[in-house]
Amino acid sequence: MGGLIKTEAMATGGAVSLETAAQEQRPEALRLSWAWAACGAILLASCGHLLIKLGLVAALHGTAYPGLLERILHYLLQPAVAAGLVIYGLGTLLWISAVSRRNISFLYPLTALNYVLVSVGGKVLFGENISTGRWIGIAVVVAGVALLQLSVTEEKA
Amino acid sequence: MSSMTALWISIVLGSCAQVFLKKGVSPQSGSTPGSAPASYLTLLRSPWVWAWGVCFFLATGLWMVAISKIEMSYAFPMLGLGYLLAAVLSIFLLKEHVSFRRWAAIVVITLGVAIIYGSA
Repeated sequence: MGGLIKTEAMATGGAVSLETAAQEQRPEALRLSWAWAACGAILLASCGHLLIKLGLVAALHGTAYPGLLERILHYLLQPAVAAGLVIYGLGTLLWISAVSRRNISFLYPLTALNYVLVSVGGKVLFGENISTGRWIGIAVVVAGVALLQLSVTEEKA
Repeated sequence: MSSMTALWISIVLGSCAQVFLKKGVSPQSGSTPGSAPASYLTLLRSPWVWAWGVCFFLATGLWMVAISKIEMSYAFPMLGLGYLLAAVLSIFLLKEHVSFRRWAAIVVITLGVAIIYGSA
């Protein structure tokens, strides 16, 4: 983590000292570190998606409803689906809290971790067989998102 | 509708939603939220914000249809295609300039998506 903070400080320059000063004025109890907020947001988003899938899979094996509206309600009212949507929502709130304290261009590439977390979750929870080719594809997507961040930083400098 | 069709439409609508929202809250469209909470209501006057709402709602629904059948490790990274779609849409709708470096990064992401698509 130390290395990350250092890199960010170099990228944003003077903005950091101002931000730190503002944070120091807040009472200790109210201070939720941006790093925890960002990590929490990413974890909650991944868990949310996986829970929704868990609930949907359960619903597919349950009663079949003829009407479209009944079917949609049946899916949405699955405990895991509802919990997944709520957790996803909480993750979004945490994300907003992290973004309010750190540059979006610094935080955004961290969301690429979702691709890795959700895939690992798919393997663990649903026994998905992830081929080497698919892992390579996921790694290339994550690398591309990191490159995107790099291009933004250099354009600003 | 097949799960794959649902996934493709969900990705396209999800990207449209982002660009529509940006269009709706941009100063040019004359409906920027000010500091007062009440002014957020003026956002509802923007058709772009409504378009965002509809696209977001449909994209979420279709996403759920898709992942009920498709493997998570396949469907989720496919969302990376949204980077390319959002960039193309932002050129036409928001008149944004996309630098060469950014295109290069988007090409890498799209290449990764293509590899995942081939891994099915």
